[in-house]
Amino acid sequence: MSSIHSSRSMPRRWGSAVLAGAMSIGLLAACSATGPGDTAKTEGSLSGETIAFVGYGDTSPWGAYFNSVYMPALEAEGATVLDLTTMDAGIQVQNFNQAVAQKPSVIVTLLVDTQAMVGPMRKAVEAGVPVIVVDGPADPAIADDPGIRSVLSDNVALGELAATNIIEGIKAQGRDEGNVIVVAGTQAMLVTQDRMKGFNKVFDENPSFTILDVQDGNWDPTLSGTLAQQLLAKYGPDGVQGAYGMADYMALPIINAAKQLGFAVGGEDGLIVSGGNCFKAGIESIRAGELYGTATEDPGTIAQKTAEYTIELLTGKEPPRVVTLTEDRVTAANLDEFADRCSKA
Amino acid sequence: MTGAMTAATTDTSASTGIRNLPWQKVTIAVVIVALAVLCATTPQFFTINNAKAILASASIVGLAALGGTFIMIVGSIVSLATAQTMAVIAMVFLASQQLGLVPAIAVALLAGAAIQAIQGALVGYWSANPVVLTIAAAFALTGLATFVTGGTTVYPTVNNFEVLNSTPLGIPLSVFVFIGAAVLAEIILRRTVRGQQMYLVGENRRAARAAGLPVPHIVLFAWVVGGVLLAVGALFLAAFNTTATINLGGTITFDAIAAVLAGGTAIAGGKGSALRTVGGTLAIAIIADLLLLRGFSTGAQLLVKGLLVLVLVIVVHLESKREK
Repeated sequence: MSSIHSSRSMPRRWGSAVLAGAMSIGLLAACSATGPGDTAKTEGSLSGETIAFVGYGDTSPWGAYFNSVYMPALEAEGATVLDLTTMDAGIQVQNFNQAVAQKPSVIVTLLVDTQAMVGPMRKAVEAGVPVIVVDGPADPAIADDPGIRSVLSDNVALGELAATNIIEGIKAQGRDEGNVIVVAGTQAMLVTQDRMKGFNKVFDENPSFTILDVQDGNWDPTLSGTLAQQLLAKYGPDGVQGAYGMADYMALPIINAAKQLGFAVGGEDGLIVSGGNCFKAGIESIRAGELYGTATEDPGTIAQKTAEYTIELLTGKEPPRVVTLTEDRVTAANLDEFADRCSKA
Repeated sequence: MTGAMTAATTDTSASTGIRNLPWQKVTIAVVIVALAVLCATTPQFFTINNAKAILASASIVGLAALGGTFIMIVGSIVSLATAQTMAVIAMVFLASQQLGLVPAIAVALLAGAAIQAIQGALVGYWSANPVVLTIAAAFALTGLATFVTGGTTVYPTVNNFEVLNSTPLGIPLSVFVFIGAAVLAEIILRRTVRGQQMYLVGENRRAARAAGLPVPHIVLFAWVVGGVLLAVGALFLAAFNTTATINLGGTITFDAIAAVLAGGTAIAGGKGSALRTVGGTLAIAIIADLLLLRGFSTGAQLLVKGLLVLVLVIVVHLESKREK
């Protein structure tokens, strides 16, 4: 009995030892590694300034590229950047509160959950720490506060551009009317709502074109494909002429869903599909003649603009409280102009 | 006093009567009848395209659910790292495209087996709690994938995977593979010694150990087979989306668990079958499709899915009580 016990406990002891060893090595490596905020300080216009960056985490390709442009740009100016990035809404609230407590020169944030961040942002304003909200707008409850600054993508324009792509594509097939399905991002998000405002506006101006169905794809490519399959099956090949995937990585599964159902895509009579915030895969799909078009909101451009804005603010230049970027439509006609810029994420 | 005794007796017999109802059969019958009525009264449900859409959406979740069936039957409850595991395998598959399709598939299957083998070994040999372990695995896989890729999307340098998006006889290839995998999984579970041993371990781990069964090996086997099935699902997930990030799996962890439970596999282990998981997967896909056709939102679909799983967990619990 005891021998059985000891023979069973040996591997357990070995296992514990291996796990403990692995954890120790991992911790040592982590502690000795150089993090993004630990780069050697250089002399520059932001020497001595601390920027708390509560952005999107690197698990988002868009966020990863934004971070890779934004943080080095500020560190090159001598600033210390506290990397508090995450894709988790709950952790973002904690990180933001932690940032407020550290009283940095400025907090720069890309909001995962706009409503959840109202309280923490109010604390920052009360503590006299300026906040720069990037990409999507802050909740209306706090967006107009003088302490809240914004560098925003023009999400209404992004929706308009996608709608223009689809209507233009359908008209190019010789049709003067058409039905469209939409697989949107998370519908509770202001970004999604703004894009739909722009999208609806263009369709209101073109009454012979109809939005049949809008489904919440939650920024999830797999769910987007499933929803597209169901919607296309529901309306049939003659019932749908266009589709909008709110991000390129949502539009591409729509294309594959159509192909698997035997629907033609693009060309003279196939489904016209538009994406949104341009990704490399979207550019390649336009080149292949499948995705009709997309729109910008590429992470590199907004990261660069945000870095410039941050430097201006911290060097006393007083930039406008809200800056909205200009967005562009991308189709086969102007692909070369945007291919490089849109192939970073 | 007599009255009280009579009342108590009536109460006891009533509760015994309720407990003795064949809950699972009754529930399955009710669900089938309800679905039949809803299908018959939903416009556009009975179309070829809709059938294809249901099968296509069920196939990838179904492959993940088949993997989950092995894990649940052997008594390891659930893997909460399914989405991350599939995303990592999809990344590996797309990154290996330059090797050619067959080697890339082999690499992906090996990756799936290896990722699950590590977890299966910890559960089987060191009795790690599978829920806690797989939560940790989900974090570890996310961290590893983000570290290796720098958070960038994995793009294939060569597109050798288009065959996986093909539609023989007008039906997505993933559907045929799902059906084939389900049959093979059922054969392993029902017709092999290892399969039968998995049921025994899931039913009563201590008794299985006392009977001299190599419990850790059996648990490891279940996780590895589950890993291979996850990998097969991940191949189609990668091909369908054409690129991969760590977020590719989306809600597939919970979708797969829901499908396994909807098929009537006992969460405590020792009971269940691959074919029943196919039924559970299809039932959930049909319900989601019906709700969409009837104009309900994605939120409503999630709510119904959650309620269905909750009801089925209660039903399976009542059924196991009845059998005892």
